Amino acid sequence: MSRALDKAGRWIGWAFFADLANGLALTFGYMFSRPVTMQYPDKEKWLPYSRYRGHHFLKRDDEGEIKCVACELCARICPCDCIEVVPYEDEKGNRRPAKFEIDTARCLFCGLCEDACPADAIALGQQYEFSSFSSRDLVIGRDDLLAKPGKAMTGGGVVAARLNTERDVLVEASEPRGYNWWRNIRRK
Amino acid sequence: MELIVALGVIVFKVALLIAILLLLPLPLTWLERKIAGHMQQRMGPMRVGWHGLLQPVADGIKLLTKEDHIPAEADRFLFKLAPILALAPPFVVFAAIPFGETVSVLGNEITLYISNLNVALLFVFAVIGLEVYGVIFGGWAANSKYAVLGSLRTCAQMISYEIPMGFAVIGVVMLAQSMSLLDIVRAQTDVWNVVYQPIGFFVFFVAGLAEAQRIPFDLAEAEGDLGAGFHTEYSGIRFALFMVSEYVVMVLVSVLTVILFFGGWNGVLIPLPPLLWFLLKVAFFVYLFMWFRFTFPRYRYDQLMAIGWKVLLPLSLANIIISGVVFS
Ligand code: SF4
Ligand code: SF4
Repeated sequence: MSRALDKAGRWIGWAFFADLANGLALTFGYMFSRPVTMQYPDKEKWLPYSRYRGHHFLKRDDEGEIKCVACELCARICPCDCIEVVPYEDEKGNRRPAKFEIDTARCLFCGLCEDACPADAIALGQQYEFSSFSSRDLVIGRDDLLAKPGKAMTGGGVVAARLNTERDVLVEASEPRGYNWWRNIRRK
Repeated sequence: MELIVALGVIVFKVALLIAILLLLPLPLTWLERKIAGHMQQRMGPMRVGWHGLLQPVADGIKLLTKEDHIPAEADRFLFKLAPILALAPPFVVFAAIPFGETVSVLGNEITLYISNLNVALLFVFAVIGLEVYGVIFGGWAANSKYAVLGSLRTCAQMISYEIPMGFAVIGVVMLAQSMSLLDIVRAQTDVWNVVYQPIGFFVFFVAGLAEAQRIPFDLAEAEGDLGAGFHTEYSGIRFALFMVSEYVVMVLVSVLTVILFFGGWNGVLIPLPPLLWFLLKVAFFVYLFMWFRFTFPRYRYDQLMAIGWKVLLPLSLANIIISGVVFS
């Protein structure tokens, strides 16, 4: 009995284009849902997860001294061989890097340098906008790694969107813990 | 003197109509892209102007400044003629379409239509039929296999869908006892035709979708399998003309649906100005067209033919017989 009813119901549905109406209802619902588009360079910007491995930076200790002791462990462990450290002895008799260069063009952002460092001196930040027209510009020196504007302070957090040509504003990322793309996608 | 005033009014009305129709695609493309975007959880155009409002203008400038390319092997005369042939008929049809009853402006009686033909319906169908020549010439003159395939499809599609479309309105003519669109609207003052003619409306609307070559019946320009169909080889301003004609036809089909089945400018419940009622209804159908476009997939070619000949044609014939028996 119920099967017959089912069949009749399906036939009625077919005759009145229930499936087409279903589709229309679905798209109509989507029309008033929130778009997942992120208006990237102009208005919004994605702040990556805190564990994201982006551009490197070197840390300073409380006295403002560079933390790195130029042990070259990071250079040793780097699978891409893209770190070059040259040590020297400073006035206080500490071993410090005279030259610290990372070739970010070759770096694969594995984070092994951060893991290997005994002095907690190097870390990978959240900045991801550093493409450039020449691979030579991607070799970042010691002072740059230390002094990227606001980099060490913000933990290498994201700075202003560079593609924005109009205003030099710092783009506020709306979600500090990273953007959840799936949240806005409705599923049945 | 009176003659000059009357002539001036007609010229003004024609100029206004042409201007409106030529400019109509600008907001419509914007609307279509916005609707498409939001249905796909995107935003649509956002960069040019407030919420991308100036995007169609930018697109227009782009199209106007593009190289006007004609393929080497093309039939140059027909190639240039085709966009005009596609564009002119929809504009001509609007000459016979009423937008409302007479209004008086500054003591002058001004009719909201250019002419009240007593065979307007016949005229409309005859002239819309001409539009297909633009598409066929365009495809043939371009000398490209995709374009020719597109025109062949259009040809077959138009032939199969114009018949049920013509049959579908016979019921309406029976009800109004007239072929004049003005009389048809007047006959719907109390009850809209869609109540008496649901099958007629259904057949007319589906055939209208096919006539306007909108999804799910846009086989003539199926991007996926034909490049862009008959206008594969067109670029720049000529391509823009095809696009304009496409949008005007879409509006035309909406307008015809409203006039024939949804009481034209007769309102219900809410007393709005008649012209506003009319425009609202047309806007609804235009939206429906866009809504369909971003919901349905395209029919296969054999399905298209099967729907035309095996479903719509018998339905429209049955509709004529039933209306004839019931309303006489
Ligand atoms: S992240 Fe990996 S590849 Fe890049 S510098 Fe550090 S160790 Fe080398
Ligand atoms: S960054 Fe760390 S691992 Fe690399 S040289 Fe300096 S102290 Fe050693």
